[in-house]
Amino acid sequence: MEGHIVRTFDGEILNLRMQVLRMGGLAIDQVQCAVQALTREDDDAARDVVARNAQVVGYARAIEDDIVGVIARRQPVASDLRTVLAVGRVATDLERVGNAARKIARLALELDGARDGVPLQRFYNDVRKMSRTALAMLRDALDCFDRVDLEGALAVVHRDAEVDNEFQLALRGLVSYVMEDQRHLGSTIQTVFVLKAIERVGDHARNVAASVPRFAPREDLVAGPLPPAAGVGRDAERDPRALGQG
Amino acid sequence: MSTQMATTGDNIPTSAPRAAVTAAHDQSQPGAALDTKTVGQVTVANAVVSARKVNVYYGEKHAIHDVSLDIGRNAVIALIGPSGCGKSTFLRCINRMNDTIDAARFTGHITLDGQDIYDKRQDVVQLRARVGMVFQKPNPFPKSIYENIAYGPRIHGLVANRTDLDEVVQTSLQKAGLWDEVKDRLEHSGTSLSGGQQQRLCIARAIAVDPEVILMDEPCSALDPIATARIEDLIDELRQNYTIVIVTHNMQQAARVSQRTAYFHLGDLIEVGATDQIFTNPMHKLTEDYITGRFG
Repeated sequence: MEGHIVRTFDGEILNLRMQVLRMGGLAIDQVQCAVQALTREDDDAARDVVARNAQVVGYARAIEDDIVGVIARRQPVASDLRTVLAVGRVATDLERVGNAARKIARLALELDGARDGVPLQRFYNDVRKMSRTALAMLRDALDCFDRVDLEGALAVVHRDAEVDNEFQLALRGLVSYVMEDQRHLGSTIQTVFVLKAIERVGDHARNVAASVPRFAPREDLVAGPLPPAAGVGRDAERDPRALGQG
Repeated sequence: MSTQMATTGDNIPTSAPRAAVTAAHDQSQPGAALDTKTVGQVTVANAVVSARKVNVYYGEKHAIHDVSLDIGRNAVIALIGPSGCGKSTFLRCINRMNDTIDAARFTGHITLDGQDIYDKRQDVVQLRARVGMVFQKPNPFPKSIYENIAYGPRIHGLVANRTDLDEVVQTSLQKAGLWDEVKDRLEHSGTSLSGGQQQRLCIARAIAVDPEVILMDEPCSALDPIATARIEDLIDELRQNYTIVIVTHNMQQAARVSQRTAYFHLGDLIEVGATDQIFTNPMHKLTEDYITGRFG
């Protein structure tokens, strides 16, 4: 789509999208570090993740302020309005990804005292695997957001089921484990919280991907100086809801 | 009507059968199936004004092309589009203001409550009483506030005596939201009021002859934001009793005050629809590009 007559408006929209991508990079890094801190039993790294969450929150507040500014100054409509709102929604999801990373890091610190004698390492493989899947989804979702890739976004949405399945499998393993030896119930519950946090990262990745069709240029727009004349039913044919958009 | 008929339009070959000619003529009548390139719903159930295949020429220039549009009762419709797109020309067709331009030529049909306003028996003065107009710049008569309002009812014979006239003046000023500000100085000149008050005086003047439709051609473009807000608030109140057609270059204003919006481009009516839909999910790329500020 061609740019606005007021070119600074293009710059402001681009800046919002770039901020979201930078925030997404930080959120992904946070989850990776939190999972590493957990699985390597590295308390310092876990504390770093908790401290760095303020940066994620800072991004969210800055994006929120910029959105308010753009709405106040530009009164965006149609695709511009949808883009601005989509940026806001994605920023909220990324903030929650950051919260999930902080939660994993805090659980890593809490688990530290409970690890002795508990063979939780066997479940860390599940944690690593789930986090790889969820973070790959989030990376792809942000990539689709950046490139406004509708097909790719749809694929990411469907992949959320993978994370859900992995979560269910890991959960079953933990349940079997705790049924055999109930002394480790506490640390097992903590591990469930970790897995649940990662499963939520997958949900947020799906939300990011689902935002793409909301602001993508509509493919059903009638183009050209005038559309060809059509007969009865043309309005229904052009109803964006009928095309799954809008 | 068959597709073939629908696409035949006005260009009926001379050899066309009689029935085909009749059908093509009927197509330009309200209620008939529409052959329009406009995207969206041009017809409404409760139309006060129905325009069918309206064309206006200024000499050689073809200013608007085959515009068909219904205007619903007790609602505000905003006409938007870049300069020279034909929106004001279309507005001026609704009370035959284009008749005052020698070079202007009109084809098509416009009905008001089912009556063809371009019928040669139509009294244009009576028409303009039923279809009032408010212009870009406030244009009160250089007379008192009272006389500005009283003039219309008096020349149209709408009042029997001074008491009735006083009542019409008061009611009109109240409906225009101006009564409290001017009730103690009705004898003062209309031109002594502020710009916003003058515009509300012009609206009161239009209301005084009890019109069905009020046409507004960029009524706030010469006003400050506060005066603009008052007029917009007034428009919202007036639509309880009147049908309002507003031409505006201010798209936020169109979004705020209207229930339907029609987008014109180079003389064509490109898209018409509910204002919420036009400003969130327009269906035509030209509409999208215009309202998002990508050309104009």
